[in-house]
Amino acid sequence: MECYSEQTCALAVDGELAADEAQRLRDHLTTCQRCRALVDALRAENRVLSESLNELPEEAASPARFSPQHWSWGWADLAILAVVLALGSIISGWFNELDIPAAVEWFNPFSVSGRTNLTFQLFYYFAHGGTAMLADYAAVVGWICLLLLLGGSALLLGRRGRTHYPGLRLLVVLLALSLPSFALERRHGEFVTVTANETVDDTLVATANMVRVDGVVNGDLLTFGRTVEVRGTVKGDLISFAQRTEVSGTVEGRIYTFARTLDLEGQLGHSIYGAVQSLHIDDRGRVGDGIVVAVGEASLEGEVKRSVNIVTGGSVDVSGAIGRDLTMIGRSLVLTNTARIGGNLSARVRQLKEVQIADGATIGGKRDIQVRVRESSFTRPRFYFHQAVWFAGAILVGWLGILLFPGFFPATTQLVGSGWRSLGLGVGVLAGVPVAMVVIAITLVGFPLSLMVLALYLAAIYLAKIWVGAFLGRTLLKPSGATKSDWLLGLLVGLLILTLMGFIPYLGGLVRLGVVCLGLGAFAGQLYRASQPAT
Amino acid sequence: MDAKRNMAKEPQPREAGTGQMEGMDLESVIECARGHDAEALGEIYRRYVRRVFGLCRYMLNSRESAEDATSEVFLKLQRSIEGYDRSIPFLRWLLRVAGNQCIDALRRRQRGRRAIVEVEDGAAVIEVPSSEPSPLGAVISKEERADVRDAIARLPENYRVPLVLRYYSELSYDEIAQQLGLERNYVAALIFRAKQELRRRLPHRSN
Repeated sequence: MECYSEQTCALAVDGELAADEAQRLRDHLTTCQRCRALVDALRAENRVLSESLNELPEEAASPARFSPQHWSWGWADLAILAVVLALGSIISGWFNELDIPAAVEWFNPFSVSGRTNLTFQLFYYFAHGGTAMLADYAAVVGWICLLLLLGGSALLLGRRGRTHYPGLRLLVVLLALSLPSFALERRHGEFVTVTANETVDDTLVATANMVRVDGVVNGDLLTFGRTVEVRGTVKGDLISFAQRTEVSGTVEGRIYTFARTLDLEGQLGHSIYGAVQSLHIDDRGRVGDGIVVAVGEASLEGEVKRSVNIVTGGSVDVSGAIGRDLTMIGRSLVLTNTARIGGNLSARVRQLKEVQIADGATIGGKRDIQVRVRESSFTRPRFYFHQAVWFAGAILVGWLGILLFPGFFPATTQLVGSGWRSLGLGVGVLAGVPVAMVVIAITLVGFPLSLMVLALYLAAIYLAKIWVGAFLGRTLLKPSGATKSDWLLGLLVGLLILTLMGFIPYLGGLVRLGVVCLGLGAFAGQLYRASQPAT
Repeated sequence: MDAKRNMAKEPQPREAGTGQMEGMDLESVIECARGHDAEALGEIYRRYVRRVFGLCRYMLNSRESAEDATSEVFLKLQRSIEGYDRSIPFLRWLLRVAGNQCIDALRRRQRGRRAIVEVEDGAAVIEVPSSEPSPLGAVISKEERADVRDAIARLPENYRVPLVLRYYSELSYDEIAQQLGLERNYVAALIFRAKQELRRRLPHRSN
């Protein structure tokens, strides 16, 4: 009888041969010395494999090593529980006070005035190089992300922990960040007024159609409303998300504003920071420190003790006094006879004739007026330096990301590959999240939640290019492995290509927008996936 | 959540007599665990974490990934244990769950490509030339077992994974085929190839 092949014998030894064939083989073995030897040898080999594998390597001998991971999970669970309880207690307390959406009607995309406003804002946004703004904005967010990641990684690597539910951990961090906002006094309604003889000792969060402070707020004042008027005194900072913010009293701290208009007729102890459509410092207004703003147009009639830095799409009119330097980038600059600048004047405009400096205006330092030529950035070495820093930062963020979230980052990268689906989802997320945030924030109950979502949203906008870059790189390189270094190499190549494509006129902006949408979509998709119970 | 935490607190083998579950038979422990008893889950963790970690370590070839996968398996156990129907021994079932976890991890690593790619054309054709090295020798020392493990760790993934599932998890070809989403014949061929590759890499061990 003919002998059996080695593979058939191997199947038999593994007990995987069909019964009748196994029987025939057994019969054959009784007569065939050679096959018997082979089967014995295969059996011995199997034993060697089983024994070798079952004698676990040293490192597996101490399951206790898992403990830090589990401990940290225990704490994370506790933290989540605590946060959920805290949120729950606050929400339950406010549940029957949810009748205030009229307060921020002007920002409600579902109403006529809200839509008009939104359309206006969008038009403004695109008219002033929205996509370029987005990139700049993302760069700033990048630094924030980097800091967060660095802090987080120090903490996590220190504990040798690796994340399983990165989203959950992120949530814990974000919730922790938003916790301080619980120590606030909140008021809302159609009108929120701090009357002249009233003093609010804590930080006041006010949401109303009209917020008016005639009295004293000892903490910060955080407002959402159509109109915010400070006639009395705010001893802390004023943070305003309002259509119109007017300060005729005193703010001893700083003003952070994201309003349509800001009028300062009173006293400000420190600086103004923010983005407003129209900034007006009245001749009675006085800023104790400086101004750093992005504005549609600015008119400075009062006094600013230190420097003014303005980026504007429109004009800057100065007829008041600036203690130190005035630096502006924008369309036009007007200095009237009464204007006084203690330090240097530095202006970048499109055309020289857009700068009008009256004879009576005094400038203490140097005048540096440059005509901004759009394409000139490519000829300056500083541009390349910035790009290099930006690029290195992105790679670093990618590296930290894959280190901290070894599952999440590659999975998100992979999801970018679902193309139109990611893109569509991304467009939805990009446009929908701000609306959702506003809706959450106006109920105020969800204000901390809204801040969290904002942080996550900004982070995702920044990280979008990393995921898309990594995907692009992998698609092009097709590395054989799936290690972290492969991923990073892909990121390097992909990001380089994306960066270069971003410089193509017109198309570049579209590419950037597409990248943001794709990345956001993949991120949202992966978050959804990760939140699904595993099967 | 309590269960997870409790389990987390007890990864180290406790001193004898400290836990009620210590001497309990497996059946009862599993029964308690199905009722979300944290201590029972902790006990299962204590009894089987090494086996599970071993499998993950072999399959994923990375200590870190193996730790992650092991943690996942036990974290999900609270839910997944409800699906255990006693038709097969518990350890076998647990290793199957762990195997699935690892395969998922491998797939994630490979960007959705099938983790275990089908063998090259013709590999499923069973017959191979008889000039292949002969099976590994039977008598083997501790050091040599370590050599074998090293050689297995260095095998390509599509050889390593079925081999480990067969000789560590002791799954049948059919079960492996089901886990990997491959034809049974391919699995047989992969395992056979894996052994031949091992022999080639451990020539001094061949008879």
